[in-house]
This record gives sequence, C-alpha cells and structure tokens, in this order.
Amino acid sequence: MENTDKKNKKGFSRRNFLAISGSGLTGVLALLYFGRQPIRRKISDIVSEMEIGADVSDLDPKLWFELNADNTITLKSPKVEMGQGIFTGFAMLAAEELDIQLDKIKVVHANSKNGVLSNTGVSNSTSSFYVIIREVAATLRETLKLQASKLWDIPVSSISTKDGMLISADKKISYADLAKQISKWEIAQKPILRSSNNFKYVGKEAKRIDLPDKILGKPIYGIDVTLPDMVYGAVLYSPYFNGKLKSVDTSNAKNTKGVLKIVEENTWIGVVATTRFAAETAVERIKADWDFAPNINTKDIEKLITVGNGNEVNIQNDGDTNKVSNQAIIGEFRTPIGFHACLEPSIVVADYQDNKVTLYTSFQNPAYIQTVVSEALDIEKENIDIIPAYLGGGFGRKSFKSNVVEAVKLSKAVGKPVHLLYTRQQEFQNGYVRPNTHHVLKGKLGKDGKILAFEHDIATGPMAFKALPAIAEPILGADFVVAGHGSRCAYQIPNIKTTVWHNNLPFETSMWRGVGMFANTFAIESFMDELAYKANENPLKFRIDHCDDTVQLGRRKKILEIIAEKSGWHLSKPTDIGRGLAICDDRKTISAAVVEVKIIDGLIKVTKVIQAIDPGKIINPDGIRQQVEGATMMAISASLYEQGTIENGQFEQTNFHNYQVVRLSDAPEIEVILHEGADMPSGVGEPPIAPIAPAIANAVFNLTGKRLRSLPLQLAFQESKS
Amino acid sequence: MKLTLTINNKPTTLDVESNMPLLWLIRDEVKLKGTKFGCGKAQCGACSLYVDGELIRSCSYPVQMANGKKITTIEGLSEDETHLHPVQQAWLDIQVPQCGYCQSGFMMAAAKLLAENPNPTVEDIKNGISNICRCGTHPRIIKVILLAAKLKNDGKH
Repeated sequence: MENTDKKNKKGFSRRNFLAISGSGLTGVLALLYFGRQPIRRKISDIVSEMEIGADVSDLDPKLWFELNADNTITLKSPKVEMGQGIFTGFAMLAAEELDIQLDKIKVVHANSKNGVLSNTGVSNSTSSFYVIIREVAATLRETLKLQASKLWDIPVSSISTKDGMLISADKKISYADLAKQISKWEIAQKPILRSSNNFKYVGKEAKRIDLPDKILGKPIYGIDVTLPDMVYGAVLYSPYFNGKLKSVDTSNAKNTKGVLKIVEENTWIGVVATTRFAAETAVERIKADWDFAPNINTKDIEKLITVGNGNEVNIQNDGDTNKVSNQAIIGEFRTPIGFHACLEPSIVVADYQDNKVTLYTSFQNPAYIQTVVSEALDIEKENIDIIPAYLGGGFGRKSFKSNVVEAVKLSKAVGKPVHLLYTRQQEFQNGYVRPNTHHVLKGKLGKDGKILAFEHDIATGPMAFKALPAIAEPILGADFVVAGHGSRCAYQIPNIKTTVWHNNLPFETSMWRGVGMFANTFAIESFMDELAYKANENPLKFRIDHCDDTVQLGRRKKILEIIAEKSGWHLSKPTDIGRGLAICDDRKTISAAVVEVKIIDGLIKVTKVIQAIDPGKIINPDGIRQQVEGATMMAISASLYEQGTIENGQFEQTNFHNYQVVRLSDAPEIEVILHEGADMPSGVGEPPIAPIAPAIANAVFNLTGKRLRSLPLQLAFQESKS
Repeated sequence: MKLTLTINNKPTTLDVESNMPLLWLIRDEVKLKGTKFGCGKAQCGACSLYVDGELIRSCSYPVQMANGKKITTIEGLSEDETHLHPVQQAWLDIQVPQCGYCQSGFMMAAAKLLAENPNPTVEDIKNGISNICRCGTHPRIIKVILLAAKLKNDGKH
C-alpha cells in the first residue's frame, strides 16, 4: 500500500495537521467576544464539562496504516510516545478491527510526509482516539475485503477476515499478498464498529510494544537522530529573564578548533562545530553582557501572585455566597514554581536546504514548531517537514518553547544538518515553568455539620495563553481554563463561589503535568480535610456526605468507598503513622489517594500510597498502573521537594544539585486499584498526580496536628517547627 | 589525542580532544546511542557505563582517562539480543520503562549492584543507586532488581 500513497500524498490536506490544541476552545471564544463576568462564568461552565476531542479529521486509512510484505501492519501514530504507552494502546484498538494478531501490528510515529500528526497532551490521547483508531482500522479491513471481492469476483459479504487472512468459501489470501496485487485502491465506506462486548484485546493485560527497543538502548529518541554530514550546535542564552545582548566578544570562540560558524542574534549566540564538545567549548569562551531587569526575586513573584492582585474573574457563583461571613473558617495555601526537568532536554535536528527544512525532534506539539519556524524564517508551512521521535519525557514541557528556530538558523548558516541540544542549565533557565499559585479558601459549616458555603480565590500566572489565540487573554481575563483547571469546588454544597486572579509573570509559564489541577487540588482537598476536622467528622465520610448521585459525584463516592475498604481507612493503625486522603475529578477521571507517612529523622517520609482510579473504559490495565505509579512518584517529588526560586532576575536552579527530585530511596509501597466506572475511556496521565500533595499534608496533620499550607511540604514542615 | 579503546569487546582507535567527555565520544563518534545525556554534571546517572568494569558517569569523564581501557555500554551488556542479561530480561518481564530515557543508566547501575551484591535487600537497592527517573518508575525498579537477582542466581540467564 505504501507505493500507492504517492498520489494521495499530494492531495493530503495539511490543514488537518495544523489543527492546534485547544481548537475547540477557540470556537467557544469566537462566539463569546462580548464577555464579561456572566459570560466568563458561562465559558467556565462549558469548559469544565468539555472534553477536548481529536484534532485530526483525515481518516483515509492509507495515511494511517501500511501493509508490510511479511503480513504485519504498521500503524503510523498521530500521537507521540512519551512514556504514556500510547503506541500499545493504539495497537490494541487497531487489532480489534483489523483481525490480525496484536503482535503483528507495529507502531511508528507518523511524520508530516506520510501521515497525520496531532498534538499530544491534556491526557486525551486514548479518549479522543478511542473511536477514530477503530474506525480507520475497520475501514482498512473493509477496504481489503472490497479489493478481494473484486479480485475473486464474488460479493464482499462472502468474505471474512481472520489472523491477517481474507477468506472465502474456497479461497484464502493474506493481507500482504492481496496488497501486492492492487494498483488502484478503492476505499470502502466506514463500517459500523464492533461492540465493546466483543473486544479481544481491550481490557486485557498487554506487554508494551515499545519496551524491547528501550531495554536494548536502541536509537529511538530525538537526541539519537544522526544524519549524513550532520554537525553540532551549541547556543548561549541569557540566564536572566528577557535578557538582551548588550555587548559580546566571540573572538576566543571563533578560534576554537572545530568551529565552523558563529551566529549572533539579539537574544542568543549560536556556534556550529564539527563536534558537540567543540561547540560547547566555544560557547564557554564567549564573553557576553546582558541587559536585564535585575531586581526580581522570589518574594516579588509571590507578591504578584497573591489573591487581590491583578485581574479578577469570577468563574462560579452558585447560590448565595454571602453566606460565607466573617466567622468563616479560612485557609490560605501556596504552591511554588515547578520545573518539568524531563531527562531528555529540548532537542532538534534541523536540515535546511533551499528554503525548505526538515525537523527531527521529540516534541509534543508539531503544529507549534511548524508555526514558529514559518514565522521566524519566512518559510511556507508546506516546506517544513516534521519527523517526530520518541520523547525522553514530556510532562507538558515539550508543547511550546523549544530551540527549533535556533537550530534552523544554524543549519541555514552552514548548509548542513545541525544537532542542537539544550544544556541542563538552559532547560532550567530558558524553558518555561509551572506558575506559582496562592489560594484563599473560606468555608462555613451549617448546623448539620455540612458545608453551607464554600469560597475559593486562586491567584496564578497563565498556562493556556501560549496555546490560544492572542485574543483569548482579553476575553477570558484570567486563565481559568487551564491554570484554573480544578479550582471549582465539585462537591455538593448549596453556596459556592470561585474567583481567579490573574497576573502575567516576567518569565514564561505554561502547562505542567496535571496543569491547574495539581495546585487547586492541594488547596481544596487540604481545606476539605480542615473543614471535616472542624465538623468533627471522619474526612472520608465528610467527603461522601458532600457527594450526591449525579454522575461524576456518584463516581467519586464509589471510589471513596473502594479506597476506604482497600486502604483499611477505618481500621486502627500504629501511632507513628499518619494517614491522609484526597481525591479529584480530572478530565472525567476520578483519582483518589490514601497516603501513610512517618516522621523519620525530623523529615516527612511517605511510606505507603494506595491510589484508586476510575478512568472509565480500561484499555491496558498495566499501562494504567504504570501511569498511576509514575504520577504518584512525580507528585511525591513535587510535593515534598521541588521549588523554583528566583534571585536577581534569574532562576536559581541550574541542575539537579539545586533542584531536588525523588530518588529510589523515596519510593513508598504503592498499590493501584482500577475501577471501570464508565463506558468511554478518560485521561490517565495527569489525574493521579493531583491527590498526592493534599493526601500527604493531611497525613502529616493526622500524625502531628500541624496543618502544612505550602509546597514543598518538607520545607513547610521544617518551618512549622520553628 | 589518539586513543585506543575496547568498546563492547571491539578494539577501536579514535582521534579526539583529550578532555572531551567520554559520553560524546561514545554517542557521536562511535554512534552508540543507548547511553544518554541527562545533566552533564554527573547528577542523574543517565550516562552510566563501565570503564574496566567500574560504573562511571560518562558525561563528566574525560576520554583521556579511558585510554587503553575496556568500555561496556548498554549495547554490550547482553551477549546478544536473543540472550538478554538477567537485568534486561527482568526489566522486560516487569515492564519497567515508561519514556525509557533514563533506563539504560539504571540497568547499568543495577547490573553492577548485582555483580557486587547478588542478594540485595530493598534497602541495599534504595541506597545503592542514586540515578534520576522523572516518569516515576522507582517502585518497579526496586521490584525488578529483586527479580533480576533471582533470575541470575537461578542461572536462567
């Protein structure tokens, strides 16, 4: 089938490929240009219920599949594999309709020359492609049957498919052998999908298809790309926020052995050399002075991000929140700046030839790089090809800013492919971060001990504005869509008010795994614990008491009941152990954690975590367990240790010696409980990250009586002693 | 400088700057890509490999120190792809990697730990390996090293 693609490729519309993340939102925005408070609340209502669908529309199977001579089938995945196991999930879904053994399906990244590309993020790879992959696979199967019916001159209805074979009463041919005989493909109509009751693979444990390469050290990542004649780049950036070059001396750099070219721009100086060592040595020899704003420190940023400062947008106003009076219980929380710290830094290999460029990169959002390269170098988008590779971690860091424009300019300067990598220090100082947040919560208990009124004010920098058109900021007023994600109180409470306070920060901020849900769940679920304590009620029962039987709260209640039983929540425990609980509803997935802590040598030690998750339809159970375990560890890291700080207009963090992350010694016993509480799959990559921080803080309170109100908790715990 | 090295049992002669990190020689000159760059300051362990059997972090190890020595990378850990080292076999059995980027370094560290301590306890593993993983495969890494020890001791691999 590969050979027949050429004609089709010409007609392949790149408009599909250019659909950007949040495109559904753009439509909502266009309708609501007159926005002020009521309309912003309406948008918030819509967004909180919205599922972000697939950003592809070309379902021609020739763009998705290739039939191979050995009767295997290659699926060209529009989504990148960044550890979430999507290649395996897609293979399982395709196998349901292709009537071929799972191990006969190979999965590779689609590229802009041969397939359909999509943005990878917001935990929707499975949910938004759950139907599409099966539809395209089913169309391919029916296309094969249609071609066989022509070859054999019999009706399609007399042909069946099994294990990669087309079978009629007296004839049999493999998919591959049939494909060899077809010169002109007629694509069948999209058939009705098989019922999920008949699934052969979905829901059963499958080994991940990407792991053999990964344990053998095969060259599959962006950083591993090697092209003939390739040379190496290195770039000097300002370590300060928004630094501009004041003066520069590159004479020593030029004299470095192996240096081919030096490129000077306003905000960076690039070197191309025959080896990376030569390029990096030359960069170290550049003397540069930067113009920058020197007096920005962590305290200034915290002040900027404080409830009462910046633009105020009320997004939820149910009932009468005047019920929250001065006698309310008040809780104030902070979360710090967070770095993604993917182990594979930003990497791109750019090959510029004659106003055309091919980019080899491990990146979540191909449309974004195509746009920035097109704008920066005035190259038609049709002339920018993107070849995705496996990502060495993503977590939201590989959705926007990258070094792609620098790489293209360096390649253009030397006329050769250039391999360009961020250093670890650049990854900390020149990328983007999760913005810090500040939360003020107020609650009032009724005479029945239930919450009568609940108010949440959150101050944050934006996460979504990089993904949305420029017009989004004035319309929305604050980023309640992404940074504010999870700020609305989901419990059944008669009077609820939620307000987002917006300020832009003097450095780049955007999405980090879990987006706003991480900080907002820390604040809300810590405060729920506080209210339960004030109401003299068990925190788990208190939460159940605030769930009615509407769909999502019903699912929440069920998960609370499951985790209570599995964690032995109501059983007694040793006196040196604290136990805490938290739960969230993120992207239609319910995720709850019970955490046990001890205090060892004066430090918080997480000893056990039980996570219960309802991700809707389960595709690969062990794939979900991996994601939950991983999110748990990343969340323990972000909760206990991680904190970006600022001194003199720059991030103080430069490497892992001053940005502590979890190591093996931090790993607790982790148990994951899966519960399939809906017919459609929902997100798994992000939801389980959010309950961990509040569950740890609540466990510390349970053990010590100290309420920790800021992350990182280890630091808050030390400060609580003094 | 001219260097003579044995890389995964293959004698190799190269001419590079004497203070180039061994990582870049292995990756860019010899084109063995399994050893990864993570931090450049010997903090994360993604670049771990063996020099004369010693586990080192190659991002901070000048090539001149490796002259005349035997290097083993992840590509040379197993005899061949059909006879996996017990560590790699166990890694597949327990489905450890997620993004997989740090895993070569972890496998090299795990194989070394088992060579020195065939029956490690959970505490030995936690204290013996300080590599960084951002995907959070830590619980499985602890489990998999216990399994690899068993596979190795049973002589199955």
